[in-house]
Amino acid sequence: MKVTLFEQAPYRFLSPDFQEHHQSVCSTPYSLTNPSGVYSSLRDHIDELMMGARAGFDGVAFNEHAQSAYDLTPNPNIIASAVAYATETEGLDVAIFPMGRSLGKSREPVRVAEEYAMVDVISGGRLVAGFPVGLGYDASINNGVPPIEVRGRFEENLELILRTWHDREPFAWNGRYNQFPQVNIWPRPLQDQPPVWITGIGNPATMRTTLERGFGFNYFGFAGAKLTGKRIFDRFWGLSDELGLPRNPYRLGFLQTIAVSETDERAEKEYGTHVEYMYRKGLGSIPMEKLALPGGINIHGVRALMQDPADFGMYSQMRTATFGQLAEAGTVIAGSPDTVSEQLLEYCRTYGIGNLHAMLGFGSMPKELAEKNINLFATEVLPRLRTMWQDKQLDHHWWPKKLGGTPLPVAEGRTPATTRKAVAS
Amino acid sequence: MTTDSTQSSVREETIETWGGRLKLRVKIAGQGDPLLYLHSATGLVWDPFLSRLAEQYTVYAPEFPGTTPGDPDAVHVIDHLSDMVLVYEEMTRRLSLDRPVVVGHDFGGMIAAELAAHFPELPSALVLLAPLGLWREDAPVVSLAAASATELPGLLFHDHTGEVAQAALAFPEDPEAALEAAVGMVWSLGSTAKYIWPIPDRGLRSRLHRVAAPTLVVWGREDRVAAVSYADDFARLVKDSAIALLDDCGHLPQIEQFKQTTEKVEDFLR
Repeated sequence: MKVTLFEQAPYRFLSPDFQEHHQSVCSTPYSLTNPSGVYSSLRDHIDELMMGARAGFDGVAFNEHAQSAYDLTPNPNIIASAVAYATETEGLDVAIFPMGRSLGKSREPVRVAEEYAMVDVISGGRLVAGFPVGLGYDASINNGVPPIEVRGRFEENLELILRTWHDREPFAWNGRYNQFPQVNIWPRPLQDQPPVWITGIGNPATMRTTLERGFGFNYFGFAGAKLTGKRIFDRFWGLSDELGLPRNPYRLGFLQTIAVSETDERAEKEYGTHVEYMYRKGLGSIPMEKLALPGGINIHGVRALMQDPADFGMYSQMRTATFGQLAEAGTVIAGSPDTVSEQLLEYCRTYGIGNLHAMLGFGSMPKELAEKNINLFATEVLPRLRTMWQDKQLDHHWWPKKLGGTPLPVAEGRTPATTRKAVAS
Repeated sequence: MTTDSTQSSVREETIETWGGRLKLRVKIAGQGDPLLYLHSATGLVWDPFLSRLAEQYTVYAPEFPGTTPGDPDAVHVIDHLSDMVLVYEEMTRRLSLDRPVVVGHDFGGMIAAELAAHFPELPSALVLLAPLGLWREDAPVVSLAAASATELPGLLFHDHTGEVAQAALAFPEDPEAALEAAVGMVWSLGSTAKYIWPIPDRGLRSRLHRVAAPTLVVWGREDRVAAVSYADDFARLVKDSAIALLDDCGHLPQIEQFKQTTEKVEDFLR
């Protein structure tokens, strides 16, 4: 089992009634911040990732959100670069895992390929390359991409990036969304093939692509994994069975918000307000119309979500949810090391999860409390998780070679309708 | 969602365009000279306004690619607005429409204006009902695709609590039909947004001087999607144009002020 420390970089000093007056993305007034709060929110984010690297996690992970109060990381590769260098100087062999650059959003895919290549070089070959499609508001409002083009751009950009890393000779690219007379990036990744991971929220088409192409698949349990986990993971492994693939748990990643203290009671007391802060002022304050813009989800997906919105878990109640409700839905696992370990072991065993991304700093949590959470988890919980799946003696094809993985070349993809250039056939 | 009870007389024809790669479904009704009607971003609904027009004209109302039930992927065939204008011009020839009156509403108004600007001889007359296509810094156009479901009624109507608005906004009682209507509307907004996102300005302002047809610009004074000030821009940029402004009227003049709108349009076309 691989376990990473995952964190976002929320602005940590929003007022208690923030969510009654504001959305957490796009329109959030920047006047709600102050410079020292912005500085410490980002500085502490990086400090905490470094704590994780020193505490024995297998990797550090983070993601991309622009124009957002709940994650001050419009470009995660800037974080990746800082952490790559710092861990390299300290000799810390951890994966650098941006989850990562949103390709539905990106209008500069060659730059994304170049940035990832630089991070891989700076880290000495420890990059794990995450590529989410991207959230609707981020791709279409923050970056102006028509919602109906987001998936097509994602698919084309991914193909282009994989080629920039793979092809030895310069090539021309005449795509639907990008044209380049010559692509020949310097540097290229140190790894022959940095492991590629796609984050999805449950769309079967995304899952199928990751399985067919040999990518890893990450699922984030923000909507409440006790409500959504079974649906999502059963769907994933069902598709895997359909394609005749072995159920290798290492191809599946799961992100969970976790709060560890000495006892269950203390966990609620210490972390409760920060859990509420995270969900009420973060995901809970992104209105549905900013996540699901018309055209961003294909018509079959729209119909499926309207008929059965359960993939959204408790999202619609999040803006006012209490710690108790959030824990009940599984948006957070909080408690003593025993409580937390038991729940995580059961999840991972039940759903065949081979990579756990533990979100241990969140919301308004001060650095000292994040440090406690990270260290308690690393000393009391992590050792119990690490040995899971060892008896299966499976190869981890979605992890850098330098860190014990055996990445495989990605498989050729089909050209979907959204990516095909509109030319006479 | 208002549909007209006389719509049983509406027939459908599917027209092949773009070298056979794009099929357009066209609803047709009425008798008389041809009239091409281009629907709004929310999709084609055969409403009383179209039935009224069909009393004097043969109305041809194509469904924008992607918005036809059962053919959602048609939206991926055409990448650029200029090619879409060519598709519409091809369609008028396939249908043998000889100098039709062209009427367009909202997004369809923008397509109608583009068609008239690209092919000045094509329309015999042009009626633009609250068309999109221009942008003013002092009155940003509100995107229907970005609006929440709860905001939409207030954006579309001057008085969304009124009887007319309530009837127009009502979804079918049958849950299956209601689901399909909602899904269809979302996909229509998504399909049309391809050509107007994030800003409904693809350079029409610089082309409007080419419009040669006599043009009527109809606008609700209380339009909260595209402010009434845009009427002046269209009228100023189109040489042979007149403006009809309607009181107590939002973004759907032919629904919210059916009587006023039909009177103005019929007077203009007479």
